[in-house]
Amino acid sequence: MKIVDMIKKEMRFDKNDKGQNAISAVSSNTSNKKKPSTIDRKVIQDSVTKLDPRYLAKNNAVMFTVEVGFIVVFIIALFPNISTEFVQFSSAFYFEIAVILIITVWFATFSESLSEAQARARVDSLRSLEKEVSARKIVNEKEVVVNSKSLKPGDEVKVYAGETIPRDGLVIKGKAFVDESMMTGESNPVFKEKDDHVIGGTRIASDNILVEITAEAGRSFLDEMVGLIESASRPKTKNEIALTMLLAGLSLIFIIVVGGLLFLIHYLGYSGDIATLIALLVALMPTTIGGLLPAIGVAGVTRIGRDNIVAKSGKGIEAAGDCDVLILDKTGTITEGSRSAIKFIPLQMYTEQDTGQAAFAASIHDNTHEGKSIIDLSEEKRFIPPLMEKILAARPIEFSADTGYSGIDFIPAKKTALTNEQQEEFAFISKLESENGNGNGIAGADNHHHVNCKVSSMLLELDKFNKEVQVLKGSVDNILALTRKANARVNEAEVRWKAQEVSKDGGTPLAVSINNEIIGLVVLKDNLKENIRQKLDEVRATGITTVMITGDNKLTAQVIAKEANVDQVMAEAKPTDKLVRVQEEQSKGHVIGMVGDGTNDAPALAKADIGLAMNSGTAAAKEAANMVDLDSDPSKILRVVKLGKQLLITRGAITTFSIANDVAKYFAIIPAMIMKSTNNAHLESLNIMHLHSPDTAILSTLIFNAIIIPALIPLSLRGVKFKPEPPQKTFIRNMLIYGLGGVALPFVGIKVIDLLLSVFMR
Amino acid sequence: MTCVDPIVQTSVLFGGSIGMAIIFGLYIARMISYEMRPLEKPLARVEKGFFRLVGIDVNRQMTWKEYLFALVFTDGIVMVFIFIIFLIQGMLPTATPGLKGLSIDLAFNTAASFITNTDLQHYAGDQQLSILTQMIAITFVMFVAPASAMAAGFAFIRAFIRKNFGLGNFYVDFTRNILTLLLPVSFVSSLFLIYMGVPQTLNSSVTIDKTLEGHNQSFTIGPVGSLESIKMLGHNGGGFFGANSAHPFENPNGFTNIYETFLILIIPLAFPIAYAKLVGRGRGIAILIAMLIGFGIMFAIALTAQSGPKGLETRFGSFGTLLFTISSIATNTGATNSLLGGLSPNAVISLFLGMFVQAIPGAAGVGMMTMIVYVLLTLFIVGLMVGKTPEYMSMKISPKDIKLAVFIFLLHPTLILIPTVTAFTTGNAQGVLGREVQGQKITPFGYTQALYEYTSAAANNGSDYLGTSANTPFWNWSTGLVMLLGRFVPLGLMLGIAGSFTAKDRKEVIEPIKTEGPLFISVLVIMTFLLTALTFFPFIIIGPFSMLGS
Repeated sequence: MKIVDMIKKEMRFDKNDKGQNAISAVSSNTSNKKKPSTIDRKVIQDSVTKLDPRYLAKNNAVMFTVEVGFIVVFIIALFPNISTEFVQFSSAFYFEIAVILIITVWFATFSESLSEAQARARVDSLRSLEKEVSARKIVNEKEVVVNSKSLKPGDEVKVYAGETIPRDGLVIKGKAFVDESMMTGESNPVFKEKDDHVIGGTRIASDNILVEITAEAGRSFLDEMVGLIESASRPKTKNEIALTMLLAGLSLIFIIVVGGLLFLIHYLGYSGDIATLIALLVALMPTTIGGLLPAIGVAGVTRIGRDNIVAKSGKGIEAAGDCDVLILDKTGTITEGSRSAIKFIPLQMYTEQDTGQAAFAASIHDNTHEGKSIIDLSEEKRFIPPLMEKILAARPIEFSADTGYSGIDFIPAKKTALTNEQQEEFAFISKLESENGNGNGIAGADNHHHVNCKVSSMLLELDKFNKEVQVLKGSVDNILALTRKANARVNEAEVRWKAQEVSKDGGTPLAVSINNEIIGLVVLKDNLKENIRQKLDEVRATGITTVMITGDNKLTAQVIAKEANVDQVMAEAKPTDKLVRVQEEQSKGHVIGMVGDGTNDAPALAKADIGLAMNSGTAAAKEAANMVDLDSDPSKILRVVKLGKQLLITRGAITTFSIANDVAKYFAIIPAMIMKSTNNAHLESLNIMHLHSPDTAILSTLIFNAIIIPALIPLSLRGVKFKPEPPQKTFIRNMLIYGLGGVALPFVGIKVIDLLLSVFMR
Repeated sequence: MTCVDPIVQTSVLFGGSIGMAIIFGLYIARMISYEMRPLEKPLARVEKGFFRLVGIDVNRQMTWKEYLFALVFTDGIVMVFIFIIFLIQGMLPTATPGLKGLSIDLAFNTAASFITNTDLQHYAGDQQLSILTQMIAITFVMFVAPASAMAAGFAFIRAFIRKNFGLGNFYVDFTRNILTLLLPVSFVSSLFLIYMGVPQTLNSSVTIDKTLEGHNQSFTIGPVGSLESIKMLGHNGGGFFGANSAHPFENPNGFTNIYETFLILIIPLAFPIAYAKLVGRGRGIAILIAMLIGFGIMFAIALTAQSGPKGLETRFGSFGTLLFTISSIATNTGATNSLLGGLSPNAVISLFLGMFVQAIPGAAGVGMMTMIVYVLLTLFIVGLMVGKTPEYMSMKISPKDIKLAVFIFLLHPTLILIPTVTAFTTGNAQGVLGREVQGQKITPFGYTQALYEYTSAAANNGSDYLGTSANTPFWNWSTGLVMLLGRFVPLGLMLGIAGSFTAKDRKEVIEPIKTEGPLFISVLVIMTFLLTALTFFPFIIIGPFSMLGS
């Protein structure tokens, strides 16, 4: 392990260090540091500005109606002699009602302002996540280190190997390999020379270039997203529109009801006090949900932001609640995403040590995680092959999709000169060998400790006869094909059987061969992510089907699926299969959530209802998705689904609560309205609440109606608790809490307020 | 034949009508999905001949707008036709000497009343209409009105069967409803009723020499039997006689009383059965059960206080009267076999409830459609509560659907309350309420009568307190207008919902909350009653509820 780390530092450039780690580090810092300041002057100010009737008329019909009610009652309070028929209480009473009404409206605007303030705080902290790098700007032919933010189009910057290109630009001098994997997903570095375009955020793999900056600052992807959150025009989601419609309809119904009462009770000989009727109207209208609706919507975006996910619109978050099929990449989402060697399996003729040594040799130039893990495992087991000097200097055979293998190729006798770096590494390994008392080093041609090892002797023998040596590792099929082509002797049945055994346990077998002779298998295995099983169980409980997609063969895939408890598996999938699957499921009517990071994921991400792209992914993927996770943690999609559901449930629960409240409010106000002027004994049976007086009944109903709004602000900002469980259960529980509770609570609440008021109103 | 045991009555009635509703429902399902009906060949021949005669292209599918237009157009023509008959009946054959045409406002009211399936009667049929008018205007339109509503119900249900199944062709549905459902069934029923003693003759009166009192007495009779069966079967409710089904010629005995109640219930209950057949057994049954529970609640409220004996027919007894009246009001038939004034305030509250909800079980077609609209609103809340975009049978409920549904529920109180208030503020209510007006004040009973009139008109029910005393221009025009709006605007809105649903994608996805089973049924019933109660609670309190103590 240590060795490889050292080697990595010295001779290799690792593409996925720093970058995203740095980002996640920053983000976790900010979220700890910046607790959104809750109530400050700006919130108050903003909430008071929102009391403007013009604003309310446009944005919140329910609250607008309440405000009109306030104006009417206020005028009556000022001129109580306006009418004798419709004004029966004292002026003070009307003032009290007016005050409660305007406070009701203010509570609503306050909740909206508060949630907006939180969203703003969130945006600010997102801003700080933006990647800033230092750049070497050329000023008067000299390199000056500046912050990338300060760069303007036309500036020239020099970028060296290992450094990040600060912004989009054009190469004006030099040639270099550029690693664009974070943008395009293509892992092989791209060759760039004069007049080629380079992308900001990509990294130079070798050499250096002079770049002329062409892009403006602040046009980055994140910037666009932040802009979306901030924009004042929050596009309403379909559910929000439908709910607004329902609330407006209910309000209109109650306006007609109260309007009808205003005239009719007069003919029946009851006193038609206008303030009482306005109180009845305000109490009946769904003011609670009407007041909190905007806050709930904004809070959704804020909450998702708190998880370091940027959503392009509220729509995506809400759609997440509908998600019933999750398509998950095996790699990176369910498993750690990096397969590591865990075991060497020799063929009959060889030992474990043979296999280990051959695998070591084949992987020496393999920079992938898998390759490194093979080296690690060999080192750990002390399976170091002889002829290290030559192996290190050998010509690497790069992996390609066509051949399906990689390895090294060297002619032992040919004198080789190690580069400085290779020499260092060589010395390092030699040292390790000697430290562990493994004899007198590996530098000599006659290494005794390798004698009893077939591969060692084979290599030494080949070396002696000065033959070309080719050590390869690759998929079992590919290596077998190679040996077949070369007519080498091989026990194909044994290889296949052993490979199958590996697959059955969820591992991936790699065959290792020396000069077309298969030595053994390396078992690679991908480890499950921490807690993934528990997370997937939760998802399943809410009735979501999980589909694991993987390029692995069926056997391996099945094992992992079983371990992680996934519902369906799509094995041996080609990249395009994702899109096909998404379309297939959608045509069956499912709502699909998926995670992706590569360019080839982009079409599927765009097609999926909820596409979560990784910040580390390609620009195309981020463009196509409707959400981006800044931490690049694919399993966050589960959080998004949960949040989407929570958002809808919160709206539904408060709506139900609001409507259920009306029952008690009728029983509080109707007796207050008619009891005064009738001695009908049958009507007396309606007075089940026995409130102190008509005045206190009306006041306490309105006070309850008003304070329930701030009381529910925390709930609407935080969201109703969502447990992973069958929807039926969620429904029954919420119906009991918010439906039945909504009926019962105001009976108690109004009665308590009435008792308190009766003390003062004597 | 006076009082039969209540339990026997109820179980015979419901056993019989649900049993018959299953047969009818399966038949209606075939009509909706154009499957082979029994006797398809001869039926098709008759229909085809008719379609060719009128020039209807059987295969043409209509959009919801075309369907609505065809419905309004057809009903409009019929309304104009009967309006003219009412005006000029004095010049037509069979008019007794001295019989005049109705006044314009009464003719309008009556035409609107019958074409909307309301059958609110501001006239006394036995005195003001000729035999010919009873036959070609009243009885004829009694087929047209329910056939139109059922056709709309067919189109509505088709929207839920599968994507772009098509809403059908109004003319085809309409014709088939009359020719192959209403006409044959009412023919058989008429024969039965005639056998039971209902008169059927073209003579307008019969004179009996020497009654018990020793005088000659003349009775108005006529083709009552043919009218009576379609009056019940098609939820019309407009009686041949002013006394409606309390008249011994319309409803001779306890057995016809049960039989007529049975006729009322068949088609409304058949619709959910057809629905069950077409879109899922559980779903249809859930709706049927929800309707029956609603009906049960109405009935239970009515039974909490003793009705009568004042104003009730001794032939049917208190229970038989309630059973008939509640069935009739709940289906928006509006036929009555007693004076409404004879019912207890609690029974009146239950009648109001039936007319406010309009869907327990409601009139043929309309009740079913209204119930589905309740289902949509219920599912909207349910969907939010489980954190999913609300959907019905995995079709997303769009903001537009909610808007249309909300309009339907907004329209009902508007059509009831605004005219009621107007009637009082203009003094027109006071003018007809007689002794229920005490100076400036109106008794709860007086107010209840006015409220009932418009509720009945808006719900296309047709029962009323006021009867011929409301034959004033104000009441005729206002209730006429309310009936037309209360009929065609909701039909339009509901067909709009159908138009929206027929184009929706639907798929085989498990519903988060099944739209069947006890949980869904109870939520649906609660939502239905809660929405209604919250809207109308105060008006019931100051009206029928206050009648008790005052």
